[in-house]
Amino acid sequence: MTQRFQITRAAELESLKIFRDFITECCARYNIPSDVVLELKLAVDEACTNIIEHGYKGMDPGSIILSFRIESDRILVQITDFGHVFEPADAPKPDIEAALEDRPLGGLGLFLIYQTMDNIDYQSSGDGNTLTFTKYINRETNS
Amino acid sequence: MFKRLRVKPEPTPSVDISVSQLIGDASLPVTIKALNSLPENPKLRLYRTLIPLQVLAEFDINPRTWKNPDKLQQVKLEAEAGSDKVRITAWYREDAGNEFFYLELADNPFNGIDLNFLVANNPLAERFRTDFDDAGNETLFGTVHRNLAEEEKAMRAGLAPGQTREGLRCSHIVFNHIETFLTMMAHHAFFLEPLSYVSAWIFEKRGFAYSKGHQLMDLIHKEFQPGGELHKALDGSTPFRQPGQWSTVRGRAWAIHDGILERIDRKWDDLKMIKQIGRHAGVNTFPDAKY
Repeated sequence: MTQRFQITRAAELESLKIFRDFITECCARYNIPSDVVLELKLAVDEACTNIIEHGYKGMDPGSIILSFRIESDRILVQITDFGHVFEPADAPKPDIEAALEDRPLGGLGLFLIYQTMDNIDYQSSGDGNTLTFTKYINRETNS
Repeated sequence: MFKRLRVKPEPTPSVDISVSQLIGDASLPVTIKALNSLPENPKLRLYRTLIPLQVLAEFDINPRTWKNPDKLQQVKLEAEAGSDKVRITAWYREDAGNEFFYLELADNPFNGIDLNFLVANNPLAERFRTDFDDAGNETLFGTVHRNLAEEEKAMRAGLAPGQTREGLRCSHIVFNHIETFLTMMAHHAFFLEPLSYVSAWIFEKRGFAYSKGHQLMDLIHKEFQPGGELHKALDGSTPFRQPGQWSTVRGRAWAIHDGILERIDRKWDDLKMIKQIGRHAGVNTFPDAKY
């Protein structure tokens, strides 16, 4: 049985807390382990910050639609926006070996999402951009 | 943080299709321009689905022939070959100028679809000449010129800015038809620009999200709260800026139509909404609103 929840807010920094709380509430319904909740919140935070700061740059910000779907063995989080297109595959890989003072500001968001999520998919068209990440879970031990 | 962004690709030129393309890959979107290049009969069969049966039935219009019981034509389709627009107009009885339904869809530069116009008014309701000013100039929904006396009457009669008559309250049915039609054409979404605050609010209820202007809608809601700048600007200086208007969708809409957003250095422009086919975005920028 799949359960799906969704929230839509303006692409502004004030919405980030609402998105994090939304993930917390969804996870609480299914007793998701706290380390997974933290990873999901971090990934959502990074992705939405990117949309707010870059996706809608130069535009009167539109919406971000955040949806959370839980299946028997995985959680799928989908983030949809209607701003500029972003190609994750083109993003430069951050040099995490470099000294802190030598690293450029930012650039770690995608890296963090790749590190913590099991699968990432990005679809873009004139009708919107959708980032979906998947986290596999063991529901039997959690519910 | 993601660092590298790529702006949206340049629009690809539309390609005309033939009937053979309609029976090709069903997952590829078909443009309005391509549909318009079809022969008249298949074109009519396809576009006929855009006008809801309930709306036609309300005025005794046959959905197949688009004629009334007196055999008078009541609906017109404009979808010329070469054009990237389709327009459907329905009118009441003999007067083709007495349109009660007007819908226009068009291709946009990104191979998507724009809903340029949707008007669905009750032709039997009182008419207000808000569409023409005293000098006889078209007001273009009050965006270029205004007929203040008629607008005030319309407001008092419960209409929203831009309306000449009360609505048919059928937007949910029309949008269902548009979505079905666009699904048939393999589109994923369609766009529109809300004419007024009322329109934006209604489209939110119908499942639209904002590609531009969500933040503005949040700001408007915030500033209309007691203590906010827009709340303060409802000072009775015009009939459209009366205290108390902050608490209703229509009240806010008329104040915005009257230019009250200047108080917060904003204008009612550049908002764009998107409806993803089959998905309700759940936007609600005016919680617990009264119409």
